[in-house]
Amino acid sequence: MAKEFLTGNEAFAHAALEAGVRVCAGYPGTPSSEVIETVAKEHAAGRAEGVHVEWSTNEKAALELLAGAAYSGARTLYTCKQVGLNVASDALMSLNYVGVKGGTVLYVADDPGPISSQTEQDTRRFAAFAKVPVFDPATPEQGCQMMGAAYDLSEKYQTPVLMRPTTRVCHASTYFEVAEHTQARTPEGFKRDSRWVIFPKRSYAAHKEINERLVSIANDFSESEFDAFNPIFAEGENAQFGIVAGGISYAYTREALRLLEEEVQTGKLVWAQGAPAAPVLPPQCEGGYCTMGGPAYGRTVEALPAYRIMQVGTPYPFPQKRAVRFAEGLSDVIVFEELDHVLEDEMLKTAGRAHVGYRVHGKLTGETTDRGENTVDAIAAQLRAFFGVQLSEPRKVFGAEAATAASAGEEAAQIQSPARPPLLCPGCPHRGAFYAVKSALRKPSDGIFCGDIGCYTLGNAKPLNAVDTCLCMGAGITVAQGFSVVEPGKKALSFVGDSTFFASGMTGIANAVYNQHDITVCVLDNATTAMTGSQPHPGTGVTLMGPKSEPISIEAVLRALGVKVITHANPLCLDEAREAAREAIYYDGPSAIIFESPCVKLIKPGAPVRYCEEACTGCGKCVLKIGCPALSWDAENRRPVVDASLCNGCGLCTYLCEDGALECDGNEGSAR
Amino acid sequence: MINVSLAGIGGQGSVLAAKILAEAARSKGWQVRTAETTGMAQRGGDVMSHVRMGNNGEEVFSPLPGDASDDVIIALEPGEGLRALYLLKPSGVMVVARSGVAPTVGDFKSPSYDPAKMIEALQASGAHVVVVDDVALCDALGSRKALNIIMLASALKAVNAPESQSALRGVLTLDDMRAVVPACVKERFVEMNLRAVSLVEGA
Repeated sequence: MAKEFLTGNEAFAHAALEAGVRVCAGYPGTPSSEVIETVAKEHAAGRAEGVHVEWSTNEKAALELLAGAAYSGARTLYTCKQVGLNVASDALMSLNYVGVKGGTVLYVADDPGPISSQTEQDTRRFAAFAKVPVFDPATPEQGCQMMGAAYDLSEKYQTPVLMRPTTRVCHASTYFEVAEHTQARTPEGFKRDSRWVIFPKRSYAAHKEINERLVSIANDFSESEFDAFNPIFAEGENAQFGIVAGGISYAYTREALRLLEEEVQTGKLVWAQGAPAAPVLPPQCEGGYCTMGGPAYGRTVEALPAYRIMQVGTPYPFPQKRAVRFAEGLSDVIVFEELDHVLEDEMLKTAGRAHVGYRVHGKLTGETTDRGENTVDAIAAQLRAFFGVQLSEPRKVFGAEAATAASAGEEAAQIQSPARPPLLCPGCPHRGAFYAVKSALRKPSDGIFCGDIGCYTLGNAKPLNAVDTCLCMGAGITVAQGFSVVEPGKKALSFVGDSTFFASGMTGIANAVYNQHDITVCVLDNATTAMTGSQPHPGTGVTLMGPKSEPISIEAVLRALGVKVITHANPLCLDEAREAAREAIYYDGPSAIIFESPCVKLIKPGAPVRYCEEACTGCGKCVLKIGCPALSWDAENRRPVVDASLCNGCGLCTYLCEDGALECDGNEGSAR
Repeated sequence: MINVSLAGIGGQGSVLAAKILAEAARSKGWQVRTAETTGMAQRGGDVMSHVRMGNNGEEVFSPLPGDASDDVIIALEPGEGLRALYLLKPSGVMVVARSGVAPTVGDFKSPSYDPAKMIEALQASGAHVVVVDDVALCDALGSRKALNIIMLASALKAVNAPESQSALRGVLTLDDMRAVVPACVKERFVEMNLRAVSLVEGA
């Protein structure tokens, strides 16, 4: 064993390898991508023997491939981000009815915030919908322990199992003991059996098995070795207050309780008016002067009320028996969880089922945060209110007074940090593609720009303003078809990246050709899956196992699907790109432009563009038209400033300068 | 518990600086957790890394610090220091680079960005602010790439200064940093990084 500093995702990969996983497959998506990458790295280094690892074309392909492997008895690992499970849901819903032989764990990373996602959907809900057990780790270390347990559970009950970390678990790092060498378990092989073929009659029988095993698993989660994932701690005796927390919120809650204990020790907390837990002071007489007794409202808190806390690391099927034991004697329970009110619902159900009269406080009562991420500070404030205590004076937080004054409309001139929204990188070829398409239109308002998921969603930022819609993977192609039906006077333009094209673009193109929708598909081929960290895909031919395959040609696919007009351009050569765009856009029927230029992360930067002050007329077009981070504007001298540390010499700006004030190597600029 | 946050812009190397701190904490036998921003936010956006160390044997539960709980904030850019200021303890130190990175605006209407204004705002907040002449140090080293190392070293120098009241004083030092640099960076960068530490020490 070696001690290594790993992110949660890297550690989860090691845990799966140590559990003997044989086949790993997934599709990239933040915050899940590093799991597959780590397995591939360990395999390439010769430390993980016998494992097959791949980026599949999309999530559905990955899960179905793993189903086959699991039918043969192989331990398998599936990874995706939360919305990826939507794509694989068709497979998952049925797979649970069919069942598995080899342990099958679906690592599905949720993204509260959301930080880099389209939705705040909660995979714990998906688990209940699919009737599949789910683990919800509070820390990466706990998640690694859960990983081994999840494989055992999967094989014990022949059920797929979900592992649902969130961003702050996936991307938090600490030190882990990892095995220096792992060996995949040898599967026993496929045996023919009617159970592998899903039929209505078989599904009816399987549904009974599912219902029965969920009862058994809920019991396991309550009182077998799995109960370690649902720990209960008591602070003080005869507690009336209970705290239930899941995932990273459990870690935040422990920190918040520590903060409250410190506040008690330093005399910063007082009992709030009407606090039910406030001690009752007896009447006191001293020197003939008597005070009336009564609740200690406003007095310093000497000790927090006794409380009990339970982490729920296995939210579905809910460990109800354990929750009943936890709730014994409690009058009030507060629930901390991100995304949906899953545990809150379960605590309410438990109260009804067990006829226990505790009150449940949470998202449904407006007492905890109902969306986005939880924080230590928000939970601390919610806990103070729950216990009936308050700070005698507000905590000193730098900048808080200025912010309060500003929100109260006071004229306090508050200096703020500049907004820094995510942007296309300097030299990004997508910038050229968007600008070429925009400028190829007779009027900018002639086009509706249907964007998609990837770096190129960032084309929506000003000054490009070149993304009018973005829905989900592959939808740019199909949403455009809806516009082409209802708004035939407009040019319906789809933008799709190369990885997204293979993941979920092709069926949409078939639909356009079949139903004769007049759209133009702009394929932004940068030879990688850029947004999630440069993963390969079918168009690159690079696999995670080493040997390369023949790259699949996007043009050949488009032709085979029946697209008649297909043009090509280097998006950084603006004149050529504009011409290619014009030809495709003004063709009546489905057409495509393939913009080919590698992602800047894949190439060595070239020499920065040179600025010639004498030639510059100060028109500002270079700055105003394309929004390159390497070009800023010196308002005083009315001239652009090239940041040589950012500029990679892509040359796009040289086409915008009609005065020849911007030049770069190997690029003569616009031919005029 | 010692909390340190690093605030900057994607690509400035705050993640590596966090790893060096984590390795220093490990070498002392403390529990340590770090957290970082990755993914979409990284594309030119503001990023923060956090390092939480249980130097008194405390258990570290959360990878993220709470409001007003950082002992040190290392700002690789002044505006980013201001953005992270709410995390600083009243007794904490804000160590901030003097030079700024202007945001991409794409129009001429937005007010122009002045990093000096950001530093003024930091100082006006009442926080203990140490401004680092990052340009001079990077020039002396001959590389802007080591800004992260220069800023981390500057922070460790500031908290260990004779007049320092910091919780890190004598607990985490420049020598601790030197000891772990070889384990954290590629071999060919070790010499330059160690030179950066010495340069800061002698400045």
